[in-house]
Amino acid sequence: MPPAILIDGLTTSCLYVTMAFGMVLVFSILGILNWSHGSMFMLGAFVVYYAVTAGGIPFPLSLLVSACVIGGLGILIQMFIIERISFTVAGLGMIYVSAVTVGLIFFFEGAASMLFGLQIKGLAAVLPGVLDLGAFSVSYQKIAVVVFTLVTMITMYIVLNRTKLGLAIRAVAQEPLASRLYGISVRRISWIVMGIGCALAAIAGGLMAPVYSVNPFMGRIPLIMSLLAIIIGGAGSLTGAIVGGIILGLLNSIIAYYLGWGSEIMLFLLVIFILLLRPQGLLGASPK
Amino acid sequence: MQLFELNNVTKLFGKLSALKDIDLRVDKGEMLCIVGPNGSGKTTLINVISGYYHPTRGEGFFKGKKIFGLRPDQIVARGIARTFQSNILFEGATVLENMLIASLPQYKTNNWQAFFETKAYKNDREKVMDRVTELLKAFDIFNDRFLPAVGLSHGHQRMLGIAMALATNPSVLLLDEPTTGMNHEEAMFLVKNIKKVGEQGVTVIVIEHNIKVILNIATRVIVLNFGNKIADGKPEEVLNKQEVIEAYLGTEAI
Amino acid sequence: MRYIDYKTILPGTVVGFLVALIVIIPVFTTNPMILSIFIISGIWAIATMGFTLILRTGQFSLAQAAFMAVGGYVSAILTVKLGMPFWPSFLLAGIVSGIVALLLGLVVLRVGGMYFTIITLGVSEIVRVIALMWDSATGGAQGLLVPPPPHIILGSFEINFAASTVPYYYFMVFLVAITALVFWQMDRSRLGGVFLGIAVNPILAEHQGIHIMKYRVIAFTVAAVFTGFAGAYYATFLSAITPLMLGTWQSVSIMIMSIVGGISSLVGGALIGAFVLYTLGIYLNRLPIYGIQPFVYGAAIVLVLLFLPKGTGLIDLWGKLWHKVFREPEKAEIAEE
Repeated sequence: MPPAILIDGLTTSCLYVTMAFGMVLVFSILGILNWSHGSMFMLGAFVVYYAVTAGGIPFPLSLLVSACVIGGLGILIQMFIIERISFTVAGLGMIYVSAVTVGLIFFFEGAASMLFGLQIKGLAAVLPGVLDLGAFSVSYQKIAVVVFTLVTMITMYIVLNRTKLGLAIRAVAQEPLASRLYGISVRRISWIVMGIGCALAAIAGGLMAPVYSVNPFMGRIPLIMSLLAIIIGGAGSLTGAIVGGIILGLLNSIIAYYLGWGSEIMLFLLVIFILLLRPQGLLGASPK
Repeated sequence: MQLFELNNVTKLFGKLSALKDIDLRVDKGEMLCIVGPNGSGKTTLINVISGYYHPTRGEGFFKGKKIFGLRPDQIVARGIARTFQSNILFEGATVLENMLIASLPQYKTNNWQAFFETKAYKNDREKVMDRVTELLKAFDIFNDRFLPAVGLSHGHQRMLGIAMALATNPSVLLLDEPTTGMNHEEAMFLVKNIKKVGEQGVTVIVIEHNIKVILNIATRVIVLNFGNKIADGKPEEVLNKQEVIEAYLGTEAI
Repeated sequence: MRYIDYKTILPGTVVGFLVALIVIIPVFTTNPMILSIFIISGIWAIATMGFTLILRTGQFSLAQAAFMAVGGYVSAILTVKLGMPFWPSFLLAGIVSGIVALLLGLVVLRVGGMYFTIITLGVSEIVRVIALMWDSATGGAQGLLVPPPPHIILGSFEINFAASTVPYYYFMVFLVAITALVFWQMDRSRLGGVFLGIAVNPILAEHQGIHIMKYRVIAFTVAAVFTGFAGAYYATFLSAITPLMLGTWQSVSIMIMSIVGGISSLVGGALIGAFVLYTLGIYLNRLPIYGIQPFVYGAAIVLVLLFLPKGTGLIDLWGKLWHKVFREPEKAEIAEE
């Protein structure tokens, strides 16, 4: 198997890791599954595209811009939509949130189609050229993806483990009621977490823009993949999401290489299998 | 006749032991009160018996058969019903509807018969309705039966919760702090009903804080503290024991 | 969430009137375009009722269009590849769909809510891929051409499906009526209460002796049987079935139809949601603006969930309108609760 496959897999892994991390963060702290996570990815890619082509903003900065814009969008969605419809009634409340976020997929795909049109948009490689490593070569672009992802993940680690904000977030995840007693506004934390989650999706989208084409439906597969990554890793487990993302990215490329098709389905089957055997995922906590 | 036998029941949540080696024997017809400070494991014990939790260790027998590892609805089918501390009801349904849903175990006809509304089902349904009416009247909520369940006063909601548990025709009734939020009259009304239920042959196990209620209905009291059983015996004896008073010190004056 | 008492929104007279109207429509127009709007709305309504039933047991399924596909392909394969006559293969379409749901449900329904939905997504994709890949049976990407139902001769009366849309219309009415009857009866019987209990408070329901898994499987299977019929009829009416016709995104549309129509009324909500959204969709797709249809669908569900009380939808607005305009205004408040 040519090493190019592994490299490709690694690039896709970065994508899935970032996406899944964002989704799991939102799921473990807010308790909701944001089906429009893939739309955030797509919109993030579009923002980067327009920032670079129309705005002339350099790529790394565009990523930041995209993260902020889409993060902000996520906060608005949390504030004005999700909060309003999630009730404390167990069961049905979650369903309504799922219904609304699924509806948002349609909404954003439609809006993007109307606003941006359907012609394939390609972002010229930001870092053209390849690194020649003797036996094989890697495009700088792909290296950039890996590097940016590492930077993002390290930032996340620092924020969650070494800042006051991160402490507050972890407190809310474990003990929402007690957190309130310490003056932490659970609502505010929810907004921030949603913003971070969506921003991560946007970064993933922006990173992928030069590698793949930008179109309104590009978020569908990343959404599915981040769902699968969560299941593999165990919902609620942040490290699980990372592991899941890496496994999925690599498997995706390997299967695509050997079979040429249906990698998505194979992965789905694999994940369903895992889910039925071990409902808590590979790394998740055991249910009561 | 011994109904319950619990041996070495332990429930751990991670490192927290909510129940430690609980042994318990309950005979038919007893009115048992479980008391203890908050966090002592009372609700956990009920949860384990009702099938909501599975114990980490230990065995439990009801009428000689094992009861751990079953689903809650299977436990109900064996004849054990419970209420909840937070008094949950079916929101969006009326009082009567709540009772009818709760009465499912009373039916003898299956779902096909229910769908086609066969004669057998209609007879069955009438009997269920009679029983439901009886229960609603006993708890004084018959007149409110068409109101949304969540529209009742707090005390009446609790009565409904207990009526719903009774609607499953249990031989054992587990009540989790039933008089919380009730005023004195309501609590005494409830005591009257619990005694009546006991007279009809139902074994009752109640978690309670209210001393008057305990002294009124209990034939036996057990005390839990930090997951351990620290006392077991007649109410007057147990409630005067030194360890029991110490366990409560600071939370409630006896 | 309040489940509507049907009498407050659809008094007997209104139902009678609507039924009469529906039966008479082909007298007024035999325009195949208009009739086909009703026919296809009816088909989606059946699938939507299935979704709502499953939702009523606290589960969110994105596989309903996949069950339509199963029904459609089974009926197509049986008639085209195996030469079976139409009516038996139609029946089998529903039965096979039900069996698939039963097996799937027994394995998958014990998994928690969110995971269940993700698996239904997977099922949707898997069905699509099977349809695509299993060339010999399903015709692959091109799918299969489905012949019309055979002539029916009743005495001196001849029903010719090939000649006009009208027989299709009446068969749709018949199918929708049967489905509606079954679902309505399920809802008002003891089963309806049990489903409600499971949906609003599964923990309490279990402690009142309800075996949640059993009832979830029942709802899932019954929904799949009728959805299978709907799919088979869909393929028959459109004379073809391909893998793209009934995929995940159609499942999402069904979900939107259900919630926008209103889940408080199992039958009425589905009918109104499917009809309104499908008809709207047709006009939106005719517009030169690409993407407006999903945009509007998405906006519709977001708006309904934001601004209408939980569990209500178009059908409840109808109820309020009916009472404010035609009946006692106080009843409008009861319908509102």
